[in-house]
Amino acid sequence: MLQELYNYRQLLKSNVKKEIRGKYKGSFLGVIWSFVNPLLQVLVYAIVFPFIMKNTQENYVVFLIVGILPWTWFVTSISQGTSCILANQGIIKKVYFPRTILPISVVTSGLINFLISCIIIFLFLLISGVGFSIYIVFLPLVILIQYIFSLGVLFITSAIDVYIRDAEYIINFLINMLFYATPILYSPDIFAESPISLLIKANPLAIIITGYRDALFYQTMPNLSSLFIAFLGSLILLFIGIKVFKKLERGFAEEV
Amino acid sequence: MKKQESENAIEVKNVYKKFKLFYDKPNTLKERLVFWNKSKVDYHEVLKNINLNIKKGETVALIGVNGSGKSTLLKLMTKIIYPTTGEIKTYGKLTSLLELGAGFHPDFTGRENIYFNASIFGLSAREIDARVQDIIDFSELGEYIDTPVRTYSSGMYMRLAFSVAINVDAEILLIDEILAVGDQHFQEKCFSKLQELKKSDKTIVIVSHSLDSIKKLCDRAVWIYQGEVRMDGKADKVIDEYLKVCG
Repeated sequence: MLQELYNYRQLLKSNVKKEIRGKYKGSFLGVIWSFVNPLLQVLVYAIVFPFIMKNTQENYVVFLIVGILPWTWFVTSISQGTSCILANQGIIKKVYFPRTILPISVVTSGLINFLISCIIIFLFLLISGVGFSIYIVFLPLVILIQYIFSLGVLFITSAIDVYIRDAEYIINFLINMLFYATPILYSPDIFAESPISLLIKANPLAIIITGYRDALFYQTMPNLSSLFIAFLGSLILLFIGIKVFKKLERGFAEEV
Repeated sequence: MKKQESENAIEVKNVYKKFKLFYDKPNTLKERLVFWNKSKVDYHEVLKNINLNIKKGETVALIGVNGSGKSTLLKLMTKIIYPTTGEIKTYGKLTSLLELGAGFHPDFTGRENIYFNASIFGLSAREIDARVQDIIDFSELGEYIDTPVRTYSSGMYMRLAFSVAINVDAEILLIDEILAVGDQHFQEKCFSKLQELKKSDKTIVIVSHSLDSIKKLCDRAVWIYQGEVRMDGKADKVIDEYLKVCG
């Protein structure tokens, strides 16, 4: 499979380009929207949340940005990527190419978007005075875990979506739930005493987001053992995802 | 025995292909739950026990009336769809021209579409760079190559698509009913290009109804009748027999 993907690397490249360029095509600001959008979202939470919750978080805006930008990568990959097979039914029916290219290019274009938006994170870290520390070296590791995890999820959801079109809506609902179950707007410490903390510990995205916060915001040693578990779990998920995708892809051209 | 196998470009063994015919295809969860055992499913057997070996360098035509399963067989060879039972093996780089211009993006220019289309066929950027001039020359689009594809006439569109597909340099070429591309001049050009490819020892499988061109181009013809191989042999013999029965 890797050999075949290598042979088709040019298709992967042009697909990623198309994915990045095509999304905001026709809008005035174009690609800039993919960075402005999450920032506007941060603005909303930064205004609303301190009102309704007793907020004791210092530098809440930076705290939010470090959580929301990676989350945006995850959410756009899964919620828009789930229909990637259906969206490309034209070429799927006509040409052979490794179908795995489609979900991979969705997550990869998300990754590139995220890497660029890291500049925004760095800017905010600088301006707010939080600054940088040596623990930033763990950033690539966390990004890698999120990439593998997103890919594993997307392989499964995009393949299932071909057979059951409801998948999109169900997944959007689940992602909405997951947003609040992941410590993005709040710090996991506020649940330290309650059983909810167990739920957060079992949530791989919580581990990933906490990883970003440790490396960039709190500037402490990330919890390596839980990151390792998340890494291992993501690899297993990716493996299962590929198996499921390979099994279901045989029917794609007939089902779409 | 081993040697025998490596000489084949395509091996089709005991292939059956059934399509599900739904009267009401359940596409949503609700439909799947509500009609989970009510939806009437019929199977339509398109191909029955097909056995076919195509040797390297052979030019083979698949002929038969509409709906006999020729195109399905071609799609199976490309791996767009998979057989219900049986197996198909192909040896070597394979390109299929099932529909010209699949994946063309109307807003991109002709040149950009060459890159995108050729990458779908599995070419790397460097390989495309090396071919891009040949492709443009063959398509005879000249200065139009840098204008968006949506401004093309349908003939220009087809010419560009055919030029890309034919210049991919695959070892096996699968072609579905596209000999009738463009005007007389371009058709002749395509035909001579196919003959050139044939001479350079490529394996070509063509589905076509233009029996005259097949007679000129192919050494072997396979007549598919109601999902089964009815006759397999020298092109003119098979075509004569086919015309006797179906003409």
